[in-house]
Amino acid sequence: MPRHDPCLSNDVLSVDRRATTLRVLLVDSDRERAAAVEQGLVTAGCTVVAVAAGIDDLVQRVRDTGAEVIVCGLDDPSRDELEGMRALHRDEPRPVVLFAEKAEPEQIEAALEAGVAAYVVEGMAPARVRPVMEVAIRRFRAHQKLQQELAAARSDLEERKLVDRAKALLMRRDRLSEPEAYRRLRRMAMDRGKRLAAIAASLLQENGAD
Amino acid sequence: MPLDSDSPVRPALKRPVLRTLRIGCVPLTDAAPLLVAEELGLFDSVGLRVALSLEASWAAIRDKLAFGALDAAHLLGPLPLALAAGLDGVKAKLTVAAGIGANGNTITLSRPLAEALGRFTPPLAASAFAALVRRRDGAGERPLTLAVVFPYSSHNYLLRYWLASGGLDPDRDLRLVTVPPPMVAQRLQDGLIDGFCAGEPWGSQAAALGVGTIALSSGDIWPNHPEKVLAFDAAYAAQDPESAIACTAALIAATRWLEEPANQAEAVRILQRRAFPGLAAPTIAAAFDGMAQGLPQAAPLRFRTATLPRREQAAWFLRQMRRWGHVPAGLSDSAALAPWRQDIWRAAAARLREPEPPIASQPPADLPETA
Repeated sequence: MPRHDPCLSNDVLSVDRRATTLRVLLVDSDRERAAAVEQGLVTAGCTVVAVAAGIDDLVQRVRDTGAEVIVCGLDDPSRDELEGMRALHRDEPRPVVLFAEKAEPEQIEAALEAGVAAYVVEGMAPARVRPVMEVAIRRFRAHQKLQQELAAARSDLEERKLVDRAKALLMRRDRLSEPEAYRRLRRMAMDRGKRLAAIAASLLQENGAD
Repeated sequence: MPLDSDSPVRPALKRPVLRTLRIGCVPLTDAAPLLVAEELGLFDSVGLRVALSLEASWAAIRDKLAFGALDAAHLLGPLPLALAAGLDGVKAKLTVAAGIGANGNTITLSRPLAEALGRFTPPLAASAFAALVRRRDGAGERPLTLAVVFPYSSHNYLLRYWLASGGLDPDRDLRLVTVPPPMVAQRLQDGLIDGFCAGEPWGSQAAALGVGTIALSSGDIWPNHPEKVLAFDAAYAAQDPESAIACTAALIAATRWLEEPANQAEAVRILQRRAFPGLAAPTIAAAFDGMAQGLPQAAPLRFRTATLPRREQAAWFLRQMRRWGHVPAGLSDSAALAPWRQDIWRAAAARLREPEPPIASQPPADLPETA
């Protein structure tokens, strides 16, 4: 069918899609449709490691199967749980690719633009499934990096706060100036071979300030 | 001339073509204003053709708004913030035209957990819950698992606030997971979760099944907190403000109807028929009565007083998102809160002579970071 397919940008075609097989966890509450989608995924060069329907613990299932990507129906009731895994990033996050049975090509284009990785099952050549997944994985990795930076920035801030509180404690307790208190902390850290924040935390704890 | 011969029909053609407004909602008690507006013909009476769809998940609603398969939706309050920030990679510009509901969620605990807490009168104190978590930790028992309905939800942020007010770190002392509301009672029964914060009727359903005990309502944490919103795809609201105003007017009219105690039984029948065919009427009605299952009447689900969208109240949720590290530091308040606008509400309210509702309550004070 010679219709415009937004999934096939040049950028995507440059990916060597046969280099590796993708391990896919397919989540679909409709078993008949799941079988059809699974067939499409296998033809597209994916390994479907599990087909899950209405499962109780998705996190556990992702861990057990070693799935790299989750493929799920746009309207599947499990979607919010998948979002929960993605947002609470300690819980085995994986990129999620959606399929819709029917959709207008411009809607799929708009979805990709908005950051929703989706493809249409009906009338779509299997070869076009894989590029969507690769886009999803790339975006997911970029986003993970952002998340990690966010978490790092947060822990930096927390560490700085700990050090500030420990400094204030030393200034109060030992009547030190701020630079003196900081030097004392730094010396303690060097003597014990520990990080400044760790020394600050244990000092606060010893003094019942935590 | 052929053009002239067409002229008599021109005036009719000048009217905007009546396009169907596609609105999505999630089957919850607080979807009542939209379901009622449709059932009572309130959309028709403002000249709107509406297709109201019941969606299976918040993620589906979010995505469909983001890629134009829906024009408007019943949405979790913090979700427009998440979409403005592009959290989890999904970005969309929305316009929050109205608030839908105040209060209406419960924190419900499994029967064994409620028994371990001993006898308590709702609302359960956060300090009592925290003491139990510490006792379990001291005894080497597994950490408790609590479910919320979506990461970017009032449920998640009010629950986190309550836990932190008891001195707990929700990311360290407990496990928070996401479970869709219709599944929470079953998961509680199967012991896969120890409690949940979810919208009605699902807390009352767990209580009616005898698998859960309602410990408190979200209104006990922030009395009359804003809950859902009516959000439009911003491009749609900009292109067709008349439809957005008309739709908001229909919503306000529905909340007036819901406010009348005499209409409650009919409202419950509408909800049962449209959204909860498997639930008993008293279970659905509980939310309107202020959580009948032994909870105080302090914070029942209310609609009419909650329709005006208030940016300063949404800002509380943004502060919580910052506190828990859920939004990038570079995101400005003005960018995140831009979807909240009052002009559509004011235009709609003027048509109905709806007075501006008083500010129901101030948000709870921010907790110190070290709590």
